[in-house]
Amino acid sequence: MAGPVKVRITYCAECGYEPQTLDLAKTLMLEFGAELSSIELIPWDGGTFDVSVAGELVHSMRREGGFPEPATIKDAVRARLRS
Amino acid sequence: MTMDRPRFAQGLTFDAYKRQMTRNRERFEENERRVELRPDDVAAFQQLPRPLHVVVLAEDWCGDVIANLPVVGRLAQASGKLDIRVFLRDQNDDLMQRWLNQGTFKSIPVVVFYDDDFRELGHWIERPASVTDLRAKRRREIFAAHPEFGSPDAPVDQLPEDVRAQLQAELAKMRDETTPFANQEVIRELRELVTRVAA
Repeated sequence: MAGPVKVRITYCAECGYEPQTLDLAKTLMLEFGAELSSIELIPWDGGTFDVSVAGELVHSMRREGGFPEPATIKDAVRARLRS
Repeated sequence: MTMDRPRFAQGLTFDAYKRQMTRNRERFEENERRVELRPDDVAAFQQLPRPLHVVVLAEDWCGDVIANLPVVGRLAQASGKLDIRVFLRDQNDDLMQRWLNQGTFKSIPVVVFYDDDFRELGHWIERPASVTDLRAKRRREIFAAHPEFGSPDAPVDQLPEDVRAQLQAELAKMRDETTPFANQEVIRELRELVTRVAA
């Protein structure tokens, strides 16, 4: 089994993305609990909404457009936990 | 959605908007103080044949609102020709849908000019393209001058926290340095718009 997995959510703090950031963080907290080593929220700018799982960028608003489906992020976390 | 006098009256005056702000009011008012109005710009607004009703869509969390709405407010104050009413974007989606940026994005601020019969004369959204371009260029220069910041296209969460803080400080400094240009570009675009449509 892999070690603890860290999730980072980088969000544009000038774009009103706090609700989506908190919703995603809460989803991950409830789904994975202590399986995650931490969830880091990074306030940024420029329309950013990036999600990294164990250092790998799994969603980028610039790359994919829009916000991620929670299921996509959960799948990425599960895959990392099982690897 | 039709804007008319009763709906317009539901909006917040510029001062009422500031009073209801729950964040960034200090930055907003500092930006108001920093706006430098050239006499010829003020005169161009003062010489409008009649006052204009101005609908603004805004939210207090938005950086472009905090940067650019103070410019509109100062122009209104100095010229006496712009009657502003601010509507909160997230409580007035029918208005927002009318002026989506590129038909898709809920970009703010939106500034819409109306005549006395509430016929729309023109609108302005978010920020001047020249400001976006200048800041993108300056951003590339910052990354070029600081190899420790990595690629400008890489996710910032990959940077060590102290380096990320340095990058944030450099970007804030750049935004501050480019503010006079940005303010003047907002004034230039609004002046060109209103003098074209309201003449």
